[in-house]
Amino acid sequence: MLKIENLHATVDGRSILNGVDLEVNSGEVHAIMGPNGSGKSTLSYVLAGRKGYEVTEGSVAYRGEDLLTLEPNERAARGLFLAFQYPIEIPGVVTMQFLKVALNAQRKARGEPELSTPDFMRLVRDRAAKLRIDLDMLKRSVNVGFSGGEKKRAEILQMAVLEPSLCILDETDSGLDIDALRIVADGVNALRSPDRAMVVITHYQRLLQYIVPDRVHVLSRGRIVRSGDKSLALELEEKGYASFERDAA
Amino acid sequence: MNFPIQHTPAEAAFLTAGALLATEGRRREAFERFMAMGLPHRRLEDWRWTDLRQRISGAYPPVLDRAPPAVGKAELERSPFFAQIRGRVVLVDGVYAPELSTLPASGAIEIRGIVDASDAVLGRTAAPDSDPIIAMNTAFMAGGIAIRIAPATTVEAPFEILSIVTAAEPRTLASRIVILVEQGASASIVETHLGAEGASYVNNPVTEVILGPEARLDRVKLQRDGKEAIHLSNLQARLDRNAILRDCTVTMGGSTTRQQGFIAFDGENADAKLTGAYLLRGKQHCDTRLIVDHRVPRCTSREIFKCVLDEEARGIFQGKVIVQRGAQKTDGKQSSHGLLLSPAAEFDAKPELEIYADDVVCGHGATAGDLEEDFVFYLRSRGISLAEARALLVSAFAAEAFEDIPHDGLRDTLAELAKSWVHRGRAE
Repeated sequence: MLKIENLHATVDGRSILNGVDLEVNSGEVHAIMGPNGSGKSTLSYVLAGRKGYEVTEGSVAYRGEDLLTLEPNERAARGLFLAFQYPIEIPGVVTMQFLKVALNAQRKARGEPELSTPDFMRLVRDRAAKLRIDLDMLKRSVNVGFSGGEKKRAEILQMAVLEPSLCILDETDSGLDIDALRIVADGVNALRSPDRAMVVITHYQRLLQYIVPDRVHVLSRGRIVRSGDKSLALELEEKGYASFERDAA
Repeated sequence: MNFPIQHTPAEAAFLTAGALLATEGRRREAFERFMAMGLPHRRLEDWRWTDLRQRISGAYPPVLDRAPPAVGKAELERSPFFAQIRGRVVLVDGVYAPELSTLPASGAIEIRGIVDASDAVLGRTAAPDSDPIIAMNTAFMAGGIAIRIAPATTVEAPFEILSIVTAAEPRTLASRIVILVEQGASASIVETHLGAEGASYVNNPVTEVILGPEARLDRVKLQRDGKEAIHLSNLQARLDRNAILRDCTVTMGGSTTRQQGFIAFDGENADAKLTGAYLLRGKQHCDTRLIVDHRVPRCTSREIFKCVLDEEARGIFQGKVIVQRGAQKTDGKQSSHGLLLSPAAEFDAKPELEIYADDVVCGHGATAGDLEEDFVFYLRSRGISLAEARALLVSAFAAEAFEDIPHDGLRDTLAELAKSWVHRGRAE
């Protein structure tokens, strides 16, 4: 589904990614772990198409298509979804309206009929209930006045409504207490399916107790320095990132 | 009376029109005051951004007592509120057109036309008659309407005052709206100004609002004059004790707009909130001048202006809060924000506080900036196109001005207007 080859990227002229190789297949959950500044968030922004993240070398193929030539909204319409580490507050844009516009924009881009308001409401109500999100929250502006945990849950709700094929979760666990973490993880796990792949970016191993990955990769100084199964996360927890950084150097 | 100063062609045309006015009365007095002042120019501090001597460059003789041309129903449908508001009072070239109006007078609402400035209902508000916009209106009034909401009645559904200017030639159209909301009454009124697209004219509407004790008025004013029009409007309001005024002005039309508001608190615990949105592009220019006069203690005033400016458009907000001696516990705040969609757009804010009491809370703030790149990316990352993301964000920016409108439908219509304004784009 996703094939990243020798990806190099710079931000403000500083090189952050220095040759990332990663292949993710349908149905798989991959975890990318790494210390602060290793390039985890940069990788997620490059995939989502954020301005200012310049790819200088390498390629990203998504379902056989060159992802990097697509606009951010085109990537979304083709099924890519980034759950932000810091979901952005947008005053004045009502969450419910935003979700409906987004879903219908994606459907339209895919040549599917737009969803009527009642059908849309049914869908949101169902997904929100599973994530224990109060519908009143969705009548408020996008993320405005939401607690840290509410923002993360709202991201997962968007994901559940938009039903992407490739989910990238950037530090979804940060700022969550254990109860909120469980709810979020349950929401994510409910979306696991043979047709869907997930890339879970995290600093700590904690999240991976709830969202159990098929593969774990260690990112250090902009490169994947080691890959393994879920036991690699435990090893990291034990030894810390320092030893891997030595490997990378 | 002699007017020895050098007149611009516009002033000369006003002077000629004045010869036709009665030799005495309120109209004549206003005319003489207006001519003595002349058109305001940039050397007057209040007018430094909007020099009417330059902007009204040719002759715009006022329409004084011409029978307005017939207007078809299709014209009324140009109001964006046409489908959603049933009760409607129509003014054509400033003259009340009962045959087009669909708001029946009832126990709660009294409506009648105003013929000219001799009408006794005029001049009960506290604004300075020395103001050139008001003096011009009183002198050259083509007509207007007076609406009274009976004591202790609530007019639940909003109704529209639709003012249509048909001018195909350069003329000045002065109209007056007087809204009297009696004690304990409340009403919601939308004032829509539509003009002939492409025609050059001066639209000079003045609205007077008198709120009795415990009265409430929610007013929305939508300005969609023609692209070549000059819009010179004024709101004068006085609020008695515990009265509430919610006023929202949305400016989209006209080449030059000067809108003024003079708000005076006559009774304690009254509360006025004045909000506004500009959606301007090309070389459009809008200058809002507000003066809120806290004469008595314990009143609250809020001003929030959201100005969206594209291309070479220019937005100006001048707000003054006066707290008179003894007006303790005054709470007065104003803020104005420019959203500059182009590097050539300009936003100027001049907030002023004039405080003669010591136990008050007053403040002001102003910002200007472009659309937040992060917001745009977030929306696009969810599948929303760049154009739609921009439209959503512009609409959201302006929406703060609509927040207090107590009808979802009206708010939605205004938000949609803002979005379609963005989609319509720059090319004309």
